[in-house]
Amino acid sequence: MKKILVYLIVTFCFMLKAFAQDDLLNDLVKDDAAKVKKNIATATFKSTRIINMQSVEMTGKGNLEFMISHRFGSVWKDGKGWGNVAQLFGLNAGAANTYMSFDYSFTNWMNVGFAATGNSKYETWTKFKLLRQQSGAKNIPITVSLFSSASFDGTEGPSPNDFAWNRFSFINQLLVARKFNENFSLQLTPSYIHYNYVPYGINNTNNIFSLGIGGRYKITHKTAISFEYSRQLNGYKNLLDETASAVNYVPDLFSLGYDWDTGGHIFQFFFTSSSAATNIAQLTTNTNEVRLGNFSLGFNLNRSYGIKRVVKTQ
Amino acid sequence: MKKILLLALSFILLANLINAQTYKTRDGYVYFNPNKDLTHKDYEASSKEGTAIFKVETSDVAFLVPMKTFHFNNALLEEHFNENYLESNKYPDARFAGKLIGFNKDQLTKDGVYHFSSEGKVTMHGVTKDFKAPVKLEVKGKTATFYCNFKIKAEDHNIGIPGLVKPKLADLTPIDATIKFQLN
Repeated sequence: MKKILVYLIVTFCFMLKAFAQDDLLNDLVKDDAAKVKKNIATATFKSTRIINMQSVEMTGKGNLEFMISHRFGSVWKDGKGWGNVAQLFGLNAGAANTYMSFDYSFTNWMNVGFAATGNSKYETWTKFKLLRQQSGAKNIPITVSLFSSASFDGTEGPSPNDFAWNRFSFINQLLVARKFNENFSLQLTPSYIHYNYVPYGINNTNNIFSLGIGGRYKITHKTAISFEYSRQLNGYKNLLDETASAVNYVPDLFSLGYDWDTGGHIFQFFFTSSSAATNIAQLTTNTNEVRLGNFSLGFNLNRSYGIKRVVKTQ
Repeated sequence: MKKILLLALSFILLANLINAQTYKTRDGYVYFNPNKDLTHKDYEASSKEGTAIFKVETSDVAFLVPMKTFHFNNALLEEHFNENYLESNKYPDARFAGKLIGFNKDQLTKDGVYHFSSEGKVTMHGVTKDFKAPVKLEVKGKTATFYCNFKIKAEDHNIGIPGLVKPKLADLTPIDATIKFQLN
């Protein structure tokens, strides 16, 4: 009996020893779990754009991002019939808008950028990250960024309207997004656009407001489908231009996209109802009604370069 | 007989109490550069937020580093590391539990550099593998710093590397770990 008891105690002690390493690890895990952590939601969107519209994302600290973007002609032009096939669904339509931009982030919360948007138009911007979605120490359900951009129209125009200051327009957007889970993110985008110059006439206004919604759903680690819809709230109906002829713009912008992250690049292929490339023109001077024939194909191609060494070595 | 038993029992309990000399630290540093050509820094990353625990009497060590604390030069790579390859939301950390073979507790009381080895198990991306590597210990006053350089094969841990990147990377990823303990 006693022998059995001794035997039991000894084996019990050995068992304790055997578990010691795992115990140690468990202690560590417990310690680590007890520490209040900051779980910041990363990669709410794959790119700095949802499709056409800006997303809450920005290039990482010390990173330079180059984006080239193309928008082709309408996929199916009315009255052209099978000629549209010959034009490769707008690819050969001869009306492609090219957009090239550079983004650089000095910090994790601020980013500056410059773009040539085609048609002699240029834009420059700053983007600020105001809030980060996170749980843990602080609970913040949404990510909020502010996008503020100035656009310069360098096209030739009748004087005196080409007075330089008249060529500027501005856009301020509040980007509010939430990553609901690993796959699904949604963003709400109220925008305020200001034109320094608009032609005189009824209904013309310098200040235009719009409201957009966009989202993405990840299919695999590397691919996602995305959509966006934006509605211009004022200043699109019965406008008069310089020659006093009536202009009507379409307030809706709708796009469907497919994101493909190849590792080094992010491709975004999309169908969009706007063929304009600049942030401002898309939201304010859209002439394409949301109809199948008016959709055009396009893509964004992103490449990001780490130009500053941020990895710390000892 | 009963007395002997009691004595033995109390001795074992006492021994366990003495064994309780443990050190903990949050000063764990991990660095890796998976490039074939180590002068290329584009895939390198480091974390300064490793935590470790060290039981002197038994030479048991445990080390843990949260995956999301690794930072890369290119933010996009960091995103891919977490989202696509290490799946950091599913497997939030890398762990090591093992023993120091050849470690002697007297080494902690005398300044100097000591070499021995460590053996145990590494768990990363949900896969546990046996681990064996040489360790260098540097004792200087009240700090003891462990240095460990070892190599890990990504495939062993079910980490798929895309074909385009693969030719640029070494088969075995060298990893430097530095763990600093404050002795008291």
